[in-house]
Amino acid sequence: MNARSIVIIGLPESGKTTFLAALWHLITERDIATALRFHTLKDGDATHLNEIAARWRDAKVQDRTAIGGNRLVSMNLKDANDTPVRVTFPDVAGEAYRRMWEDRDCEPEIVEILQAGGVLLFIHADAITPPRWVIDEVAQARALGLEVPDGEDIAWHPRLTPTQVQLVELLQLLRSEPLDIGPRKLAIMLSAWDKAEGERLAPGAYIEAKLPLLAQYLRRGADAWIYRIYGLSAQGGDYDRIDPAAPRLPGAEALRCLDRPSTRIRLVEEGPPTHDLTEPLAWLME
Amino acid sequence: MADNDDNGVVCANPDCRVSQDGKCVEGFELNTCPHYGHLSDAVDDEEIVTEASDVNAVIGLPAADTLTPEQVARLLRAGETRIIAIIGPSDAGKTSLIASLYDLFQEGSVAGIDFARSRSLHAFERACHDARAASRRRIPHINRTPRGEVRFYHIDVGGGAAGDVLSVLLGDRAGEEYRGAADDTTVVTTFPEIRRADSLTLLVDGERLLDTGARHNLRHEITMILQALIDGGGVKTGQPLALVLTKIDAVQVSPESERAEADFRDLRMNLERLFGAVFPRIESFRVAASPKTNAVARGTGVPDLLTFWLEARSVPATSRSTSPAFARAFARLRPVDELEIDI
Repeated sequence: MNARSIVIIGLPESGKTTFLAALWHLITERDIATALRFHTLKDGDATHLNEIAARWRDAKVQDRTAIGGNRLVSMNLKDANDTPVRVTFPDVAGEAYRRMWEDRDCEPEIVEILQAGGVLLFIHADAITPPRWVIDEVAQARALGLEVPDGEDIAWHPRLTPTQVQLVELLQLLRSEPLDIGPRKLAIMLSAWDKAEGERLAPGAYIEAKLPLLAQYLRRGADAWIYRIYGLSAQGGDYDRIDPAAPRLPGAEALRCLDRPSTRIRLVEEGPPTHDLTEPLAWLME
Repeated sequence: MADNDDNGVVCANPDCRVSQDGKCVEGFELNTCPHYGHLSDAVDDEEIVTEASDVNAVIGLPAADTLTPEQVARLLRAGETRIIAIIGPSDAGKTSLIASLYDLFQEGSVAGIDFARSRSLHAFERACHDARAASRRRIPHINRTPRGEVRFYHIDVGGGAAGDVLSVLLGDRAGEEYRGAADDTTVVTTFPEIRRADSLTLLVDGERLLDTGARHNLRHEITMILQALIDGGGVKTGQPLALVLTKIDAVQVSPESERAEADFRDLRMNLERLFGAVFPRIESFRVAASPKTNAVARGTGVPDLLTFWLEARSVPATSRSTSPAFARAFARLRPVDELEIDI
């Protein structure tokens, strides 16, 4: 069987594990036509995938303690030509990527993982921290007749950096020693796309509008990424907390009421939306 | 250790064979021997080292700070570059100007030029921080550059005047050091950013120009800094020079605005008169890199300056090749170290 690896990266809580959960459900449920299809459970350990997919079907958020640590998960799939292919994904906690930006180092096992093939970069479309400036905020407060509060100055820390800068650096690091393996394909997944669709922007235009530094970096091609940009709603809406006493949200209940959980998934690129989460993977492996 | 723990019995004395013959080599009863049952010191050390190296077994990634002259020299070999020396007395706004350019890219292209890459993202972010809302300040502020070796902020740009891709290296040095050159011109030889610059950018502090007394000293300081750079052998004839009036947000709202603008024009004419032979191209710019109010847009004038930086190139003072013109290509090869990367 062919063996392929795909790197999944993203800052903490950018939707990486939810994607894997929805993908495993879609692959194993086999109720939607997909570019990559289920092949076999043989020669694999699906425990982690089964756990996260079960939570996803139940419309419960992924438990961060359960998904902590670094894991490699594999799926035995078939491509459009019925050729079996074993695809391996790292499910690496987002803290590892934060550490790369802040502390400028990473563990050897992460280096190995990041040197695999194509890259899926997750960006939570509704959790982008833009750059904001003192004079703009002060002017805005005054325009609204608000008092500008006196506070203690906060010293610089890398964590205060806008999302787009951290993402650019993450991609630059993948094209720098010791992680560089030459030009690669990159699928950018704007997760929680259901919350971004109100902007009425296509995924590419959304990056231009909300992450202009990243858009320029990609457009200029200094690191030669071959990229596509997708909007992804892998949950379909907000899920309930995993705590048994947590209230059941009406939105999550509505999603549970859908007879086919696979239809919660929406993937948008240029054409009409699809439920096929495997399309970016198939493209990365072409 | 391996000799005495075959049966899981250990002794801190490496000469002891207690695990094999059940006897203490020092003649103690086993329950009174101070070494029996303990790991040897040597083994302990070894294990600690192993544990420590496991803990430290992380792989370093490239820093994202400013670049040293040595790192810049390596970049010069990699592709087309523009080295920009930003000169001025303390608090003239050198770091503000650098931070402002970077912050303009945060919102999109600048004069049709895109951000392409940067090796200094931590440094840029640190420089911008006190003008950003995350600092919780009420008035934007930029920290003064500490004394020390020149630091280069790196940014690759592309599109518009930058063409396909161009590396821009912005030299930042403490203003006191430039000012000190007028007292002792020998320090100019330690200013590699001036000698190798594709263009010089000389900042004139608009706020100081508004002050009745300070304006005279400021104009004199600027003139003397340029004089020192020339006399100290720092500049090359033909280097383009941008003369930049900073903090125009303060200038525009001041009752002394017209006088300050006139002083700036006079300064430029004076520099052309005194140093026109060395700097045949002097251009004026007016910027508000980090205005303290929103009366003037952040980064006003910076796009024009960026275009100047990209287009302005000094004519190389000397030919790069001093080797005899051998007919065979092999004979013309030289070790990399011999290449002229004079920064």
